[in-house]
Amino acid sequence: MIGVGAAGAAVGATTAETSPVGADAFGRAPSPNRQGWRTLELGHLDPAAERPFWVALAQVPGVGPVGFARLLHRYGSARAAWAAGAELLAELPRVTGEATTALRRLRREGPSAVLARVERATRLAGGEVLTVLDAAYPRSLSEIDPRPPVLFVAGSRDAFDAPGVAVVGTRRATGYGRACAADLGDELARAGVTVISGLALGIDGEAHAAAVAAGGRSIGVLPSPLDRIYPPRHRELARRMLACGGALVSELATGQSIGRPDFARRNRIIAGLARAVVVVEAPDRSGALLTAAAAVDYGRDLHAVPGPIDAVASSGCNRLIADHLASLVTSPAALLHAIGASAGRRPVSVASLSEAEGLVLGGLLRRSGSIEEMIGRTGLRTGVLASALTLLEARGLVDNYGGATFHPTLAARRIGTVPDRAR
Amino acid sequence: MGDRHLHRSISRHGRLRVEVLPVLAETLSASILGVDGVPVRVEVDVAFGLPALTIVGLAGSQVQEARERVRSALRNSGFEVPARRITVNLAPADLPKDGTGYDLAIAVGILAASGQLPRHDRLSVTALVGELALDGALRPVAGTMALAAAVRDAGVPEMIVPGASVGEAATAGVRAYGAATLGQAIRHLAGVEMMVAGAAALPASLPQGAAGPDLAEVDGQQVARRALEIAVAGHHNLALCGPPGIGKTLLLRCAAGLLPPLEDDEAVAVSRIYSVAGLLDRRAPLVRARPFRAPHHTISTQALVGGGPRVRPGEASLGHRGVLMLDETLQFRADALDALREPLESGSVTIARVEGALSLPARFTLLAAFNPCPCGWRGSHGRACTCEDAAARRYMARLSGPLRDRIDLWVTMAEPERRTAGSASRSRHPEASPVVAARVAAAWRRQLDRQGRANAELPAPQFDERHGFAAPLLELLTRRGRRFGLSPRRMHRTARVARTVADLEGESTVNALHLDEALRYRAAALP
Repeated sequence: MIGVGAAGAAVGATTAETSPVGADAFGRAPSPNRQGWRTLELGHLDPAAERPFWVALAQVPGVGPVGFARLLHRYGSARAAWAAGAELLAELPRVTGEATTALRRLRREGPSAVLARVERATRLAGGEVLTVLDAAYPRSLSEIDPRPPVLFVAGSRDAFDAPGVAVVGTRRATGYGRACAADLGDELARAGVTVISGLALGIDGEAHAAAVAAGGRSIGVLPSPLDRIYPPRHRELARRMLACGGALVSELATGQSIGRPDFARRNRIIAGLARAVVVVEAPDRSGALLTAAAAVDYGRDLHAVPGPIDAVASSGCNRLIADHLASLVTSPAALLHAIGASAGRRPVSVASLSEAEGLVLGGLLRRSGSIEEMIGRTGLRTGVLASALTLLEARGLVDNYGGATFHPTLAARRIGTVPDRAR
Repeated sequence: MGDRHLHRSISRHGRLRVEVLPVLAETLSASILGVDGVPVRVEVDVAFGLPALTIVGLAGSQVQEARERVRSALRNSGFEVPARRITVNLAPADLPKDGTGYDLAIAVGILAASGQLPRHDRLSVTALVGELALDGALRPVAGTMALAAAVRDAGVPEMIVPGASVGEAATAGVRAYGAATLGQAIRHLAGVEMMVAGAAALPASLPQGAAGPDLAEVDGQQVARRALEIAVAGHHNLALCGPPGIGKTLLLRCAAGLLPPLEDDEAVAVSRIYSVAGLLDRRAPLVRARPFRAPHHTISTQALVGGGPRVRPGEASLGHRGVLMLDETLQFRADALDALREPLESGSVTIARVEGALSLPARFTLLAAFNPCPCGWRGSHGRACTCEDAAARRYMARLSGPLRDRIDLWVTMAEPERRTAGSASRSRHPEASPVVAARVAAAWRRQLDRQGRANAELPAPQFDERHGFAAPLLELLTRRGRRFGLSPRRMHRTARVARTVADLEGESTVNALHLDEALRYRAAALP
């Protein structure tokens, strides 16, 4: 669990140092990188012959998406790079002793044995191995730079063909953020849009869960290997996502350990897979801002849900909007319109509420609030208000997400009219 | 051995004087075990041999020092310490004894055994308790009320205690005589100069203690106020969770001014505990105000639940029939918090000793207040929490599951948001403590009239029509419990809270609204 916080800190630091969001504010087109993937010619490579070398090379620590492109530039193919032996490490920006040892071990094992081993382990975890050269490699990812050379994918392949929108945000979500994430996840799923996120606690989890609950497709990009769902608390959610025709994506082979950079790389894959990215709630130093920066890099549409200007949890979102990097999400319907999707059908639901309950729910639908605020707004006694909220909660119409503020749930929003005898 | 019974001395007139000497004497005293008294017989034997004063019978160091105090006090009161081999046995000999209360009984025993106290008939009907000063003055000892109760239960009608303790002893139901000095006690026992029995402390006439701040000082926080009222009225455990500086502590301190006075039987039980702890006001030895204890979070486990080589009641017992307020609950030592599980469930603390287990009463209402994370700002609107997720989770986990399960009312407090500051909830005049205290007192009266105990102590089998629980309501409780994932214990606790809500509304039957309100204050899930 410590890893989460540490990764969060690292992500924040990266954002602060390089500040890609600010730096790219006037030039969305990524700077041409002669060593990058865009300038590579890969059409002549034979996917089947290259496959063992791609998978084996990707197993070497330090050979990431950037390093892999450099090797291809230098040697022309993975097979040629592999033949160069330990020399290839000289091409990489940072080489550790660990990389040297690992490369020696992998070479002793042989590329085809490595491929067989990795494929077997991935199959056991319910997934398959895809390289950039494979036809099944997600098309949206084959446009981005840097590009993960090898991906581990579980679930439905055509999940990647349908248009997808990434819904991301902080792990320390407030009730407001959670309610918004659930609302967006639900609307997108019912409109037939794939919801893409990082399966993290907080916003990510809410968006996935809402999409799955609406019977929609959802792609989770893991910071961990497929056989070790992270965070473990979302194992059941991941299972349901697969059952709903969704997919799980990881850059790590089974058995590899998770490090800090994996969280950052995960965020770039999320942006790469999506057609548009929505940041629901993010404080100033949030990993979600890294996804936003990647979205800008890759030329994806960026949207952000605004928060009150004094809300710490929304300061990152507000800044994206203020810097004209993200467009402001006024409602789920407006977002659907912006990405060119049309709203799905609303399931019909009927609720019979008492006068006090109607008053309370009506008030919350206009604006979420704590019991304290609702006392002022409805004029009801504390006890009456408290019991009305419990009844509404028992019916699944409001939720406080463990905090003091109550929010109407999706089910409540679907109720067409609420008896409003307040005014 | 035949001449052992004869005391030979040369009279002033040069004649050999021989008198019969009662070599063995027995006086009555009492010892403290936990918060109860145990009668103790003090046997004194004066025999020929090298002059010595030996005290046996598992006597601790304080009792051993009685030798020096008794010697000096006897001499300075004009008596003589016989230059013999004096053996003092404190029976039952297997009960460990400590304290200074045996001094008087030992001194009187020595006088009786050495023939300096001509009449012994009162010794069998009078218990003796008191510490001796070197000049023969009597000093009060802790626990006199419990000692007197034990003496009364053992069928001993009279008791001589230090003058200051006479009210305390008389309250326990013995004929108590307050003696200022050893000499005065001896004159009474010898029938030379009888003392007048002291009067028991009068119930009810005593003023309340410091009642804490007034609720009128608390701005807003309607939910927490309401939960506090329910907690105090039905003796339910309350937890307030929220960022620093929003008035958690102030609110909990207000509880002191809302508590109804102790009932008569409660007052006696509480006073005994305070007597043993040496905290009783001797001028007003019957505690009438419901205890309000607020130990600091650095307190040791022993000081919190009681114990130690000489078992002393801890804060949990001092809060018996009252309130134990733990401000910054999560800063308390983990083992100290853990030790509260037992009293929270059973209303007593069991202290295991080599000699056997000891039970101290500790049925308190727990009022807890804590921040949601180490820095305090987690989930707060306007300030960023600087804690690692794992650290925050570990922090909340300090409140262990079993302890969390025993919290009946849980309120997550938030600072008022900017847009509501100064709006309706604030401009209302907050109710003052006396108004709330009157509602609490009425609800308390209803509980006593109906079941003779607090709602929090209502056993689950009594959730029936007679106690205002109709079958449909219990069905609703089961339904809600399933919906919110509550354990049977939590459901029972919720039902008790609902009973109190109904009592505060003055209703004899618990309805769905009461139940739903009670459910509103259920514990939040771990983050």
